[in-house]
Amino acid sequence: MNKVLKYSGGILSFSFGIAVWLFFALAYSNHLHYQEQFQMFLFTSDYWADLMSRPGGLADYLGTFFTQFYYHSWLGAFFIALFLVLLQQQVSFISSRLKDNPLLYPLTFIPSIIFWVLFCDENYLLASLIAVMLTLLAVQLYFYLRHPLVRIIFAAMMLLALYWLVGGVFWIFALICICVELFFFRQFTKFQWIVLIALFVICIATPPLLTKQSLQYPLSRLWWGISYNRYSTVSPVLLLLAWISIPLVSLMFLLPVKSMGSKSAIFWLCAEVIALIVVGDWFVRHSVDGAKEEIMAYDYNVRMQNWDQVIAMADRKTPDSPLSVACLNLALCKEGKMNDNMFHYFQNGPEGLLPSFKRDFTVPMVVSEIYYHLGFLNTSMQYDFEAMEAIPDYKKSSRAIKRMAEVNLLNGEYKVAEKYLHMLQHTLFYSSWANEAMQCIGNETKMDADPEWAQLRQYRMKEDVLFSEEQKDQMLGLLFMNCKTNRMAYEYLIAYTLLNKDLNHFVQYFPIGKTLNYKEIPVHYQEALLAFWAGSGRKMADFPWPVSQTVGERFNNYARLSSSGGYAEEQIKDLYSQTYWYYLQFRK
Amino acid sequence: MKRNLVYIFLLLIILSACNESVKSPVMVNAKPALYPDYSDVTVPASIAPLNFTITAEKFDRIDVVVSGSKHGELHVQSKDVIQFPQDEWKQLLSDNKGKDLKVVVSLKLDGKWKQYQPFAIHVSEYPIDYGLVYRMIAPGYEVYSKMGIYQRDLSSFDQKAIVENTLVTGSCVNCHAFNKNNPTEMNLHIRGANGATMLLVNGKMELYTTKTDSTISSCVYPYWHPSGKYIAYSVNQTRQAFHVVRNERIEVFDQASDVVVYDIKTNQLTTSPLLKTADFETFPVFSPDGKTLYFCVSKKQDIQSNYKKIKYSLCKIAFDPASGKFGNKIDTVISATKTGKSISFPRPSFDGKYLMYTQSDYGNFSIWHREADLYLLDLKTGESRPLKEVNSDNTESFHDWSSNSHWFVFSSRRGDGLYTRLYIASVDDKGNVSKPFLLPQKDPRFYDASLFSYNVPEFVTAPVRVNANELEKGLLKKDRKKMEYVKY
Repeated sequence: MNKVLKYSGGILSFSFGIAVWLFFALAYSNHLHYQEQFQMFLFTSDYWADLMSRPGGLADYLGTFFTQFYYHSWLGAFFIALFLVLLQQQVSFISSRLKDNPLLYPLTFIPSIIFWVLFCDENYLLASLIAVMLTLLAVQLYFYLRHPLVRIIFAAMMLLALYWLVGGVFWIFALICICVELFFFRQFTKFQWIVLIALFVICIATPPLLTKQSLQYPLSRLWWGISYNRYSTVSPVLLLLAWISIPLVSLMFLLPVKSMGSKSAIFWLCAEVIALIVVGDWFVRHSVDGAKEEIMAYDYNVRMQNWDQVIAMADRKTPDSPLSVACLNLALCKEGKMNDNMFHYFQNGPEGLLPSFKRDFTVPMVVSEIYYHLGFLNTSMQYDFEAMEAIPDYKKSSRAIKRMAEVNLLNGEYKVAEKYLHMLQHTLFYSSWANEAMQCIGNETKMDADPEWAQLRQYRMKEDVLFSEEQKDQMLGLLFMNCKTNRMAYEYLIAYTLLNKDLNHFVQYFPIGKTLNYKEIPVHYQEALLAFWAGSGRKMADFPWPVSQTVGERFNNYARLSSSGGYAEEQIKDLYSQTYWYYLQFRK
Repeated sequence: MKRNLVYIFLLLIILSACNESVKSPVMVNAKPALYPDYSDVTVPASIAPLNFTITAEKFDRIDVVVSGSKHGELHVQSKDVIQFPQDEWKQLLSDNKGKDLKVVVSLKLDGKWKQYQPFAIHVSEYPIDYGLVYRMIAPGYEVYSKMGIYQRDLSSFDQKAIVENTLVTGSCVNCHAFNKNNPTEMNLHIRGANGATMLLVNGKMELYTTKTDSTISSCVYPYWHPSGKYIAYSVNQTRQAFHVVRNERIEVFDQASDVVVYDIKTNQLTTSPLLKTADFETFPVFSPDGKTLYFCVSKKQDIQSNYKKIKYSLCKIAFDPASGKFGNKIDTVISATKTGKSISFPRPSFDGKYLMYTQSDYGNFSIWHREADLYLLDLKTGESRPLKEVNSDNTESFHDWSSNSHWFVFSSRRGDGLYTRLYIASVDDKGNVSKPFLLPQKDPRFYDASLFSYNVPEFVTAPVRVNANELEKGLLKKDRKKMEYVKY
């Protein structure tokens, strides 16, 4: 019996850690990449001082420190797993001190499971977990103080310190200390209780109120914590549940448990573990957002220029949101497959090519990639800047700063580029890139040694216009005319007209791509030309462009089916859903 | 007691040992390249220490000796940045008011010292106001992150928030303005779902809705009448556009704009038909005697096709403070047709001698125009000149006068081309303008690490006292006093 209990705890904790690690490293890795890009941890005293100047500063500092490791999702997942296991160990330590009850050991996983569920939401930040761990660390220290007076002084001082170091969760310390006094030390006199409770009330009530006099945050945020969630307006109920679960689990250890034989004990433990797995699994499954994970995966692969992986993802499951379709179209274009393959996948209009600007921190960051590769460097920088400014917790973005440094370098704005690069030199995962890039300041030859940069320097606009979101085709046209080797600008221009079902402009723009020397007219262009000609009412015999025999025959067949009515649409879908004709006729 | 004295003595020996003596330095026949450049600047005696460093070359130690031509000396040594002790600095400047400080910089590299030619810092006899109020915001496009209006004590490095946008979620703060730099009479605008215009009159706060059915927008670009009875505003339908070429970023236009005047006592907003035309009228300011309203005006143009033809002239119209009535004609002070340039941000000095303005190639949002420079109009002679003493090859834009009209502060992008910083220069009785100095910071490398621009600097004669909690409550209540428009 004892052996079972002795080893089961360690095995359970280890297994839990592995499960968390596998979940975040394999199933939810892109959520970690997503989080990493919306902060910029700097190894500078200013960064430390800035975070430490508000309540919860230390938790925020440590949270952003460890979040930077999400850059490598397996490493980020390791830290999440480690922290959730450490939290469980802390809860186990506190609970078993109140009453040693090994049969209830599995219950100590409950707070960690709640945090696992919370972290399925990309806006709950690691600081929320670290804040709890630091609070419990203070509770653990409390157990080692034997003298009642020392404990009273320590508790009062620690409450004040915890408010500033970890933020809104600080009062849980007082709650657990009361439990510890009631069920562990049991030494206090009536007077000592009165002093302790009075001090607790004062030390809990005053810090947020005093802070309000010097910091300009709503009082509710000073109570609940500034840095636990990216959004300031989110309900704190779930966090409250996580916090309260810790003393509740500890109190459950006080419940009387009948002594039982080893078989019963094993049965009891197994039942608890199975119940936890079933309940935990249900909650985690219902918290997971697969659709977001998919979009984040597209974004991550675009950011890393893993074009083949983007296309492979789409081959496995065709994307359907404007952002993921836009990522796919970018990858197709970069791989030279857009003109022949883009309608093999679901297309949702021009928004799936160049999504419109939104005042948020996610969409512009992705769209910035497209403008960057097109050669609209200023627009790319604008989108990145806007995305960074829109981050709800006012953090800066290492990804955006990197892109802004890059664009300023390419634009010859060396002083600003140097400023951003200097910041990145104080990061862990961007410093080597920044050091390299720093050598390009004022050195165009070195910049041109990078093929991508050399190309973008050619593509960037030489004549000024005011960028118009409403006239993207004109902007793309100007971009192509500015540099007639910019194949991507041409293909985006043509794709824009096709997705807009604007065949008149398609036919108008189509000839300007002659300079690109396509071996033959791309398949989707052939399809669009045939559709245009047929739609114009002119004789097919006079069709002026060379199309392949296959495309011509397929078009004739399509036209026949299309005009036959009845169940033709289903048949057309089966045979022609990957053609431009199908998009033109049936996609809304 | 004796033991304590021994300890103090030992401590002094240890501290003095930290400062090496500059032995047999090689003399360099040039002045040091300071960062920020504080050589030969003119400063008020109350200014915070002009801490600096040298970034253009490597060194192991930097040694600086500042000696007053009247009295006193300051010796500082460091391995990276020079930070003068505040009390000693203050005393040295106070002792040498109206005189020069001589600054000798020596650098040590690989065990050898070299010494540069000394440079001067002129300590002006003209006092400067207590501090500055400015907005700190990232130089972005449409979206804003954390930002706020802050006040800075010019005699120290203390900066305090007046209002930050963390106070009310989703808000943005702008349009702060004071009556003759008086902190008890203030205008402040908060945008967002809980937005309002805050007026502080004799220290009492009131929140307003400034949009009326008869005006095209809320009131912006405030300027107080010297009597404190009126505030001139413009109402602007503004839009932004973005350039695609490498050295341009943002263009801000008005699709329509008029000038209005608000009577605080009667809560009435009104204007002359001459100030509410199809043309673009904007940036109203009162003359120091309150009898003239200056403003900028441009012919209406189609923005997309003719935005470079939008050029603002400086005009004026008579104003009667007793009745609140306007004159019946508009005079053109500086014609855009003649100069071929565009004027923004006119600011008369409080002594009535000058009017400072920004001139750029076109448009009214000179903040994003590299060619924008400061100009000074002599109101007696009518002559206008570029302020070559302070202009750079990058943007100089918003500016403000100190209450004695002997100092002006302006924003400039000369530092890195994007992030605006504040510079202060002086004007003496003869109209001589000094070399400007960058607003000093405790760590001179501060600006390199900052992602904020300094906007709309305004002098204040004393600390601003806005009760942020009261403002928060008022904003969340959404209870606003509505300005009433009265047809002229």
